[in-house]
Amino acid sequence: MSEIVFKAVTKTFRLPKGGDFLAIDTTDLRIEEKEFVAIVGPSGCGKTTLMRMAAGLEFPSTGTVEVGGKTVRGPGPERAVVFQQFALMPWKTVRENIGFGLMCKGTPKAEADAAIARYVELMGLAGHEDSFPHQLSGGMQQRVAIARAYVMQPAALLMDEPFGALDAQTRIVMQEELVRLARRNPRTVIFITHAVDEAIYLADRVVVMGRKPGRIIETIDIRPLREEGGWEAMPIEEVMDQPAFTHMRSRIWKLLKAREQEKPAA
Amino acid sequence: MVGVATVASALALWWLATSGLRLLNPLRLPAPHEVWTALRQIMGSGYAGATLWEHALHSLGLVARGFLVAVVTGVPLGLLMGWSRRAEALINPIFLLLRPIPALAWIPLAIVWFGLGDTGKVFVIWLTAFVPSVINSFTGVRNVDTVLIAAARTQGASTAQVLRHVVIPGSMPMIFTGLRLSLQASWTTLVAAELVGAFFGLGRVLNIAGQDIFPGMILVGMAAVAICGAGSTWLLGRLERRVLNWRAAV
Repeated sequence: MSEIVFKAVTKTFRLPKGGDFLAIDTTDLRIEEKEFVAIVGPSGCGKTTLMRMAAGLEFPSTGTVEVGGKTVRGPGPERAVVFQQFALMPWKTVRENIGFGLMCKGTPKAEADAAIARYVELMGLAGHEDSFPHQLSGGMQQRVAIARAYVMQPAALLMDEPFGALDAQTRIVMQEELVRLARRNPRTVIFITHAVDEAIYLADRVVVMGRKPGRIIETIDIRPLREEGGWEAMPIEEVMDQPAFTHMRSRIWKLLKAREQEKPAA
Repeated sequence: MVGVATVASALALWWLATSGLRLLNPLRLPAPHEVWTALRQIMGSGYAGATLWEHALHSLGLVARGFLVAVVTGVPLGLLMGWSRRAEALINPIFLLLRPIPALAWIPLAIVWFGLGDTGKVFVIWLTAFVPSVINSFTGVRNVDTVLIAAARTQGASTAQVLRHVVIPGSMPMIFTGLRLSLQASWTTLVAAELVGAFFGLGRVLNIAGQDIFPGMILVGMAAVAICGAGSTWLLGRLERRVLNWRAAV
């Protein structure tokens, strides 16, 4: 089991000048096994902090985060993270970067090589196995980072704006590939983004967050729309032209905008 | 091409100023042929107790020993201080206390402690070369991208694996900057230490040639130091290119 459960989580940061800053107000969120949840929100709403808590890179001030029924106490290979800045080791080749987690785990070489080869193939990286990251484009580097995450066969995948640093065309290609990969290899996914389109296209559910303090405004199930509209079979640009899609997009935008214009609670 | 032309013109000017037009007193700046005579003398019958090869090898050996001891002690210490705030808090005060003392000021103490032999010189070279190795390794660790460390930990890397695969390779460019500075410092200190007192070495050649008022030999000594220094820097550069083959522009 690999459901991710945030139970009454808050996060407070100590300000350098003294005093506390409430980054995330009491938040409950349950992400089911093999569910793909996208979290959208303006910068500063705490969406990345939520993901980092599931990754074990940060800890809630109160409340708990549980993955597969166990409280998160630190990072672990069963929860793979894809970072916006790719975070590839520049001194390791594509093959070595993808295989790093397997090496840490002590996977036998033949088995690791086979797993690496499978994801090299799947992510379209064939021929680049011995390149260093700086020799690849941003899109290719993020493919390496995604391959590195999947090769560990993690229970949960945590993605922090993984396509945020890519140009528009590359971004669309990567979105389609991620959908393909996620259908073939379903995992529990938290996908952080500030792009509403991306969230609707990729996710089973979209969690909309607001800020000051960071909290969940609304959770929207996208699955009915996708199934009725037959989005699975369509290329991304057609999906984004569907009336159901554009309506959903305006609905989420309105949610985000309304909260931005609100006066902060006294 | 421009470089070759510049050097050629400089040599021509040198010849003109000293031999051609006799603008300069040959006791201040020797003519090219006097340097040549000095070179033949030290290569053949020797000068200041040994031939040029023996002096140069002796100096190279001292630099190599002092530099290697500095690297072997300084780099790990810098890495440790960079990685552990506690180690930094513990060691840094001593470092701050000793750092303002110019290494050359240690030479008299080194002579008192170790005499005029090799040990004192290796000691002083170690002291000078140590500081840049420590500081740059320290900075190297502190500059390692924290996202890379986080990424390695999410992939299940232990602390030892993070150090070996992330922190040390990530510090390597700065470590090499430190090594280059350490090597330069080693040569400076070596010459100074040999000038103060030595039985052999290129600094000894310079010292005796100065006492003998033998400008040709002084220039031979200076050129020999320059060639040895440049040669060792070149070797280090080759090593750096090999180790840092993953960098974008080398």
